[in-house]
Amino acid sequence: MRNQTLSSWPSAELSLLGGMALASLAAAGIWLVLGPAPDVADHLIAIGLLIALFLAALIVLHLVRNTRKQMQAALESRIGAEQRATEALRRSEEQWKAVFEHNPVMYFMVDAEGTVLSVNTFGAAQLGYPVSELHGHPVLKVFFAEDRDLVRKSVEVCLTNIGKTHSWEIRKVRKDGSAIWVRENAKAVRQLDGGLIVLIACEDITVRKQAEDALRQSQSYLAEAQRLSQTGSFGWRVATGEIIWSDETFRIFGHARAPSVSLDIVFQRIHPEDRARVRQTLDRASSDGRDFDHGYRLRMPDGSIKHVHATAHAVTDTSGGIEFVGAVTDITARKQAEEKLHEAQAELAHVARVTALGELAASIAHEVNQPLAAVVAHAAACRRWLDRDPPNLEEARGTVQSIIKDGNRAGEVIQHVRALVNKTVGQKTPLDINEVVNDVITLLHYELASHRISLRMELAPALCPVLGDRIQLQQVILNLVINGIEAMQPVTDRRRELVIRTRQDDAGKILVEIRDCGIGLAGGNASRLFEAFFTTKSDGMGMGLSICRSIVESHGGRLSASGHAGPGATFQFVLPGHQEGNTP
Amino acid sequence: MTESSTSPRNVAGAEEPIVYVVDDDASVREALGNLLRSVGLRVQLFGSAPEFLQSKLADVPSCLILDIRLPRVSGLDFQADLAEAGIHIPIIFMTGHGDIPMTVRAMKAGAVDFLTKPFRDQDMLDAVTAAIERDRKSRQEAKILSDLKARFATLSAREQEVLTLVTAGLMNKQVAAEIGIAEITVKIHRGNIMRKMAAKSLAELVKMAQALGVQRAPPQP
Repeated sequence: MRNQTLSSWPSAELSLLGGMALASLAAAGIWLVLGPAPDVADHLIAIGLLIALFLAALIVLHLVRNTRKQMQAALESRIGAEQRATEALRRSEEQWKAVFEHNPVMYFMVDAEGTVLSVNTFGAAQLGYPVSELHGHPVLKVFFAEDRDLVRKSVEVCLTNIGKTHSWEIRKVRKDGSAIWVRENAKAVRQLDGGLIVLIACEDITVRKQAEDALRQSQSYLAEAQRLSQTGSFGWRVATGEIIWSDETFRIFGHARAPSVSLDIVFQRIHPEDRARVRQTLDRASSDGRDFDHGYRLRMPDGSIKHVHATAHAVTDTSGGIEFVGAVTDITARKQAEEKLHEAQAELAHVARVTALGELAASIAHEVNQPLAAVVAHAAACRRWLDRDPPNLEEARGTVQSIIKDGNRAGEVIQHVRALVNKTVGQKTPLDINEVVNDVITLLHYELASHRISLRMELAPALCPVLGDRIQLQQVILNLVINGIEAMQPVTDRRRELVIRTRQDDAGKILVEIRDCGIGLAGGNASRLFEAFFTTKSDGMGMGLSICRSIVESHGGRLSASGHAGPGATFQFVLPGHQEGNTP
Repeated sequence: MTESSTSPRNVAGAEEPIVYVVDDDASVREALGNLLRSVGLRVQLFGSAPEFLQSKLADVPSCLILDIRLPRVSGLDFQADLAEAGIHIPIIFMTGHGDIPMTVRAMKAGAVDFLTKPFRDQDMLDAVTAAIERDRKSRQEAKILSDLKARFATLSAREQEVLTLVTAGLMNKQVAAEIGIAEITVKIHRGNIMRKMAAKSLAELVKMAQALGVQRAPPQP
């Protein structure tokens, strides 16, 4: 319509211009016909007026045209703006619709009764429904039956707090029955008609929930693993002195849980005898920033003792400070088992010793009997020297000296035997290994003689002492010598010779070698010799060499067996030499 | 080896008995030596069997005290070795503990006694006295026998033959018939035999024949 109006403008202008021209012509004619007598001059005036009038009409026409152009331009610009605004509105609507439909957030609009008024395509698709199957349906359909009460309550809260946003996390059920976790942000709004609707935006948090579950599970696995392995973890920031413990560490230290603990609390638990050593280790580690690894005891409030082992790795944090991350393990049970094992081993060694002594009973009896026989004979002789007339005092005195000497010898044998029968062992002292060898041989003369074995001793003089338990080392030598004697039992075609040799190697280690010329080591057996219960003897228990090896190893040494040129076998053990102030 | 003699009564007597002790244990060896010396016996001590064998033994009544357990060679084996070598010396064994099979073996092989250590001094001295006495006796017997053998050797072959028949209880007549000579010749031989053998009676001659082992079994009736 407006366009028609605008397009009729030029014809109106022309009509106006024509009208004005006609009116001017009419006025001039009227004036010429009906006016005063014409005069040439008047004609001229009339013509002049006409021209003026025509010019005036042209000017007016021009002005009108300009105005009309301006008006038209203004009109056109107004129409353009209106059109653009409409276009922009349309685009914006499309955009928002796209956003609403495809934004990876599920939008629901639900009325107060819980009926779905609208849902976005993304939301419906996430749940596996077409929009049409949700639209107009109760929203509870997408929740598990057991969660519906929670949904009702949450919506209730929104409806009572209009305009406020509430959020919660809940599971939704898909059309196929599977579940997704969502975080719902909901707000009730009042519509123009006064009705209440609830707007809900749901964000799929299934992945996060799974990650959280996985994390929680991994944490619970870790906690369980710590509990099972009785290993707690800790972190120690040296600069602040702050120590973080895991639950298990709190349990090990028997301390109530706390966000962090101080070094003082740690030290309160540490056994007083171990405190100085632990402090030294920690001081050194914290000043050097070096990893540490140590064991110590805890004294619990009930007085019980726990053995723990801690190991830590030093890391430098972003500010350059040292931080230790470590683990602490309750090794009490292990320690106790070790002690029990040690006791059992000592018990077994003791039994083996007593058994060996039992086998040597004849030999031992002989060794005691010999000096006793000498004492008795000397005493009888002494009486006879004194009974002489005159008494031979010089002989008597000499005889008494012999009695003392032989009596002491008998006593020494008894002492050796008593020491070997003794159960309490474990005191390590610096020993001359040659003395230990001699102690054993004292008990074995008779045994060697009755098996017609000649003994050759090649003991190196001035050996460096070894740090050891005299009785245990005697047991090792005793066992090896008895083995050698037994190995030579079947030998009839050659001299039965047993060689005991001691020496010191270049590294300062002490070697003891016991060499026989008996049946030797059968090839396949050599490697099994030191196994418990392995024996080639018909009446052997198979514990002798196994015990010997554990004794030698507990002295930081090594026991080995080898064949050698000619018949027989050589058993050798090596012990570290002991220097003063040098504890192995 | 230790030799000692302290008794003033028996200074260097050729017949003075000597006791040999072989024991590897020096204490026992010396104690035993001391005990024997205290009763005036001459003693020689040895630490081993070879040492004893290498020494020159005096030709006097003696005995050997031997430890049954010696290194390398046992006392019992040593006893056998000595018998084999023709050394007849009474042996007293000592052992640390009573061992019946060993005792039986030792006694069967002619041991004089078997003492368990520690022994009573008197038991040892009694055993030594008995052993020396036995040796003295056997030495005397050996001397008598060797004298007898020497006298027997002085007889002619015929006289020796006659001696065996006479001591077997044959009459002169029977002897003559047996060897095919005259009875009177037998009588002469008998007279020579009695003189050369220093026999005072036929009974004594029979004993000598027995000791010499030349007696013939009596003839069957």
